[in-house]
Amino acid sequence: MIPSDHFTRFYNEVFKFLEKQGDEDLKEYWLEISKNQEKHTLELFKEKGLKGMYEYWDHIRIEENCDLDLKLESDNLELKMNVCPSLSKVLDNDAEPMKRYCDHCAGWIGPIMDKVGYHLVYDVIDRNKPQCVVKIFKDKEKAIEEEKNASLLMDWPGKK
Amino acid sequence: MNKINPNSLRYKDQGNVHMDFHGATNTTIDFIIKKYGIETMNDIFKKVGEGVYADIKKNINEGNINMLAEHWKHFFDREGADYSISVKEDEIVLTVKRCTAYEHVRKLVGNVSPHFCDQTIKTNEAIAEGTPYKITTEILDEGSCKQIIRKRI
Repeated sequence: MIPSDHFTRFYNEVFKFLEKQGDEDLKEYWLEISKNQEKHTLELFKEKGLKGMYEYWDHIRIEENCDLDLKLESDNLELKMNVCPSLSKVLDNDAEPMKRYCDHCAGWIGPIMDKVGYHLVYDVIDRNKPQCVVKIFKDKEKAIEEEKNASLLMDWPGKK
Repeated sequence: MNKINPNSLRYKDQGNVHMDFHGATNTTIDFIIKKYGIETMNDIFKKVGEGVYADIKKNINEGNINMLAEHWKHFFDREGADYSISVKEDEIVLTVKRCTAYEHVRKLVGNVSPHFCDQTIKTNEAIAEGTPYKITTEILDEGSCKQIIRKRI
């Protein structure tokens, strides 16, 4: 068994292989993971919107030992990741980290947000530091406005 | 055999455990095998064994097989598995009676990939490859296995 604690280091090896195959291969995999994650998120997000997203990431914050601040406003949800355990483990690793490791996160969350009619603004800030800021809006115009403040804006397959 | 302090483990995670990662591992195994074939999946597990677990491999190569026992105990305890372990001078036998990773995936998706346990078999093989020891993994039943490290003859 690869322990669940070490999953991200396994994930990192999968990403390195897929990156060598090409960008489309990597994106196809993110979509597969996104479908997998729908089991945990889709109904909750559809039924409860931003409040459901808050519930999901609050659970993740605890279970994955994240240093994460969540701020729920009437028109958006902000996730401020102060220390990301996923990238932290990949960097604390005897195997080489994949340079674009952070990209997978928007790669699976973005397609789910598109499906439930919300707009994701994913600012990774710096791929070498385990921190990021994510904002989710119902209003597309507000999301487009927020994108202007991003340092390193993430994209995903089929972004709407 | 050298005594190993559990604190000397290269990765010694604490805090909560996110078992849903095993579901993503299951999805990944099916995805990679379907698109690229089983040899590719095995190559990735080999890289995990050689790279991620380089420190365990180094210790085994130097005869410190107890490092692997500490690794097994640490993570099977964290995941609440039902197992027993017998540690001797040049042999360790880990018997997993109830693998909580396997159980969790079955609960999440119903059908566990027929190659789910390859992550154990192939990663173990890669950790031992090129060392004086061999690790064998025998699947006893669904979610149950025996992993043995012993000197190569």
